[in-house]
Amino acid sequence: MEWLLWSGNLRYYPRYEGRPDCVQLGMKPTMPLVTLLAGAALGVGVLIASTLSPANAASASGYGATSAASATGAVKPASASSAAGGAGAGAGGASAPAPATTSATAPATAPGTGPATAPGTAPATTPGTAPGTVPATAPGTAPAATASVPKADIPPKADYVARTDSGGGAVAISVHGGQAVAYMCNGHAVAAWLKGTAKAGKLELTGKNGARLDVSYRTGKATGSIMADGTKYNFSAPLVHRGSSGHRPPGLYEATATVHGVKIKAGWVVLPGGSQVGSVEYFADSAIAPTAQAPVLNLTTGTAQYDGVTLVASLISGLTGSGF
Amino acid sequence: MTAQPDASPPAPVDVSLGIGKLLVVPSLIGGLVALTLGIYGGLHHPTGVVVNIAGFSSAGYVKSWLATIATVFAIVQVGSALVMYGKIPHVTAPSWIGRLHQWSGRIAFLLAVPVAVNCLYGLGFQTYSTRVLIHSVLGCAFFGAFTIKMLILPKRGLPGWALPLAGAVVFTLLVAIWFTSAFWFFSTFGLHR
Repeated sequence: MEWLLWSGNLRYYPRYEGRPDCVQLGMKPTMPLVTLLAGAALGVGVLIASTLSPANAASASGYGATSAASATGAVKPASASSAAGGAGAGAGGASAPAPATTSATAPATAPGTGPATAPGTAPATTPGTAPGTVPATAPGTAPAATASVPKADIPPKADYVARTDSGGGAVAISVHGGQAVAYMCNGHAVAAWLKGTAKAGKLELTGKNGARLDVSYRTGKATGSIMADGTKYNFSAPLVHRGSSGHRPPGLYEATATVHGVKIKAGWVVLPGGSQVGSVEYFADSAIAPTAQAPVLNLTTGTAQYDGVTLVASLISGLTGSGF
Repeated sequence: MTAQPDASPPAPVDVSLGIGKLLVVPSLIGGLVALTLGIYGGLHHPTGVVVNIAGFSSAGYVKSWLATIATVFAIVQVGSALVMYGKIPHVTAPSWIGRLHQWSGRIAFLLAVPVAVNCLYGLGFQTYSTRVLIHSVLGCAFFGAFTIKMLILPKRGLPGWALPLAGAVVFTLLVAIWFTSAFWFFSTFGLHR
């Protein structure tokens, strides 16, 4: 449409008789200025309203669409990390509220109160475990497994990570006492958090959208498959041994934050050797969360930069109990 | 930060000094507006906190919808301008076309202002991705360009290309801003309230 205006030589642009300057249109010459000043006044008004907004005091409210989940963890201003860097605003005073709040939540504080049930304002109205989710079968339930794997084989405190046999994904399982968390992602659109219990030699983990885990233990190893987004990924995951000091150990990392009004939940599987696979879910509370590649987790600082916000990742370790 | 190649319309060779004078001061003021916004967005520590509107799921959606409505009014702007300039064949400008142009512009501008305040106050001038960088630069440039347009509007003796150029720049900037924000937002998070 616009090209019409440009057709022909602009210098010889036809001086249309009723050239629509404001006077010819019956507008007072001061009106454009009034418009500008009205806009400026409106801008200042909104600015003041934002400054006085009660939400401003509680930085945890973020961009207006936070959920209760962010209150469970330590709220850390994004500027607190000197590694923030990339945000054009630079390092501000520590007193100023952060652009978004980053909270390290403990996802498995109570079985059943997962991120899926957090009463967020995210659009999806049906958070919760998808119908049809089958609790993961544990060793001993499957006849084939019974023969080779005694029930008591589950270590009470253990972490397993491995790449999946196919699909470019990775899986992590953390067992701590009677609780267990598992995560599978492929670094892109597939991510599934599962949680549940480890009881009597059985892992019963469930997740959204039919995510399920079938696993059997051998010595120092968890072998099985994880169902995520309707695809089955096989894996054989060795026990995690603590890595070298100075770096974050291999294992399962999680970070949640509210960025631009959207609650995101990032998960990384850090493998022995330091490689990682991570995905980030938008609208983490919704039943079907759009998922994409997670930003790289810095294993020295334990943080990642996401859209100018510093995500502080917390390790979910069955061995140490952190994150449980 | 707020490079403004569009701030001063390219002067034709045969431009008289008078025309230059007419455009220089508004252009400088517009450039100053854009710079001020950019510098504020860069220096102010973004809070992430904004005034939300009931009925929307998040501030991102409020902004996206306001920006979308503003863009629709901006399309009305171009349409009415084309009619006013007699650029639509077989359409004679009705008497109310000027009023339509003025009010659609005012509404679009006044819708864009709170969005911009939310951006600058809540998020700031950011550069962490190409989309965000473009959006930040163009967002500041838009208000500079709009200021120029408003300031030159009442001036007499402008060259014929001045207002169409200013209007086209303002419109182009707004559409680019919309593409790098609301369009991205809706396509990433879904089209709803």
